[in-house]
Amino acid sequence: MSVALSVSTNQSSTTVGKRVAKYLKGLVNHKGWLAIVLVLIFWQTISLLLGGHGLVPSPIRTAAVMWDVLVSGEFFVQLGDSMARLLIGFTLAMTMGLIVGVMSGSRWFWNEFFKDVIVLGLSLPGLVYALLSVVIFGTNLMAPVMAILFASYPFIAVNIREGVKAMDKDILDMTQAYKVGKWKVIKNVIMPSLLPHFLAAIRTGFTIAWKVSVLTEVFGATSGIGYMIRFNFQMFAVRGILAWSLLFGFVMLVIEYGILVPAERRFARWRPNISEVVK
Amino acid sequence: MKTSAVKVKDLVKNFGELRVLDNVSFEVEESSLTTIVGFSGCGKSTLLNVLAGIESITSGIAEVNCSNDSSTRLGYVFQSPRLLPWQTIEQNLLFVRPNDIDEETHSKRVLKYLEMVGLKNVRHKFPYQLSGGMQQRAGIARALCIEPAVLLMDEPFSHLDEITAGGMREEMLRIWEETHRTILFVTHDMQEAVELGDRLIMLDYHGRIFADLKIDLPRPRNLTEREFIYFYSDILQHLQKMQSIRAEELAELGLN
Repeated sequence: MSVALSVSTNQSSTTVGKRVAKYLKGLVNHKGWLAIVLVLIFWQTISLLLGGHGLVPSPIRTAAVMWDVLVSGEFFVQLGDSMARLLIGFTLAMTMGLIVGVMSGSRWFWNEFFKDVIVLGLSLPGLVYALLSVVIFGTNLMAPVMAILFASYPFIAVNIREGVKAMDKDILDMTQAYKVGKWKVIKNVIMPSLLPHFLAAIRTGFTIAWKVSVLTEVFGATSGIGYMIRFNFQMFAVRGILAWSLLFGFVMLVIEYGILVPAERRFARWRPNISEVVK
Repeated sequence: MKTSAVKVKDLVKNFGELRVLDNVSFEVEESSLTTIVGFSGCGKSTLLNVLAGIESITSGIAEVNCSNDSSTRLGYVFQSPRLLPWQTIEQNLLFVRPNDIDEETHSKRVLKYLEMVGLKNVRHKFPYQLSGGMQQRAGIARALCIEPAVLLMDEPFSHLDEITAGGMREEMLRIWEETHRTILFVTHDMQEAVELGDRLIMLDYHGRIFADLKIDLPRPRNLTEREFIYFYSDILQHLQKMQSIRAEELAELGLN
């Protein structure tokens, strides 16, 4: 028994090892590094041209501040506060976006009903939601949550609405001809066909939510990444502003490559690889 | 005497103001292969959709019976395979399991029919990984695996090239002889209709039955044999008659 257990443990550790090695290989081969390196060279050049500090601090000096913020643990405290607000707001936005999107996509009346409100929601800049929320709700939790909800839900609703509209009627007719049960159709047909639109909705909605959340914290919060950016601004610490902004960007990259891309890859196994189609 | 597997009586189907099927009545014997022909838009596919319950009936009767068991299940092979792209071929067939069939029995049937259409080895592949002909065979296996009382086939080979379609017709006839399913086969290809069916129902431009002919030709049918050519030319005469009636109707309306 113990032998069998140790064998299976070895196997699983080998599998994990292989996965990590594959992931690291993918990371090294990632073509995006080149663009990042070019941006860093450009940044360094501008910084040198302007004297190396002051208005445009060099990437190395900024990295040093980022390191300090990370090592002190302060970043994670502020990130925790921002994430809590973000998750509450985004969950509400996702729920509202899903309801409005499904209603608009499936019924002509609801499409007409929500159409203009959605367009209005899409066109207003995040800054407006952030400012209004702070004015109306003050510095409590409701301000970022409401700003995220109203800024983010139209983007989610649009994606979901288009997904519902694009649903293959022929396949739905097939399920009707074979008298497949309602729940089986929802699980095996409707949910998988909505999934790419759902993932697109999450990506777009989450990006908007992040930005609005930080913006609201800049205007009216006593903690969070946005608050730290404002604090550094008041101190005229450009390095601090850059360090906190970049760390915030890195979190987005981690979410992108750690959650969204693997999820997309997992749920898109049934699609031909683009390299198989375009040769 | 064989019983009727399909009974259609005074069937009328309107889409708004447009009448697509007009007082259609016919019965189909069990284990027979009936072909339904007609020009595009004459209501052939609508007739199958009405039988499958996809479209509602305006008036009349369209029902499926079966004497040997209580099943009134219908298998439907569409023009395009209509497979779920996110499921493997086997999962696609498992998906249509009728509620009164347990999972184990259905799984066995799925394998049986996948083998029958020659797709058992590729059952774990996704539809995009198969050719058009293979996907259509998967569609046929899906229709057969529920062991339906009646198999509805709506121009199933029209999207395939002639060589693949010819092979598929042969395969379909082999499966039909093996399973004795009642088949209602819609096509716009007159030659295909005569090659496959033992009865031919021709619909006119108004969705009415224009001709109902028994095809009493020996199988396998050779397209170059004299009997086949005679019967086929007879069908063409019916078609010409139908077209000349249509031309007169259009002339009366002042249209060319």
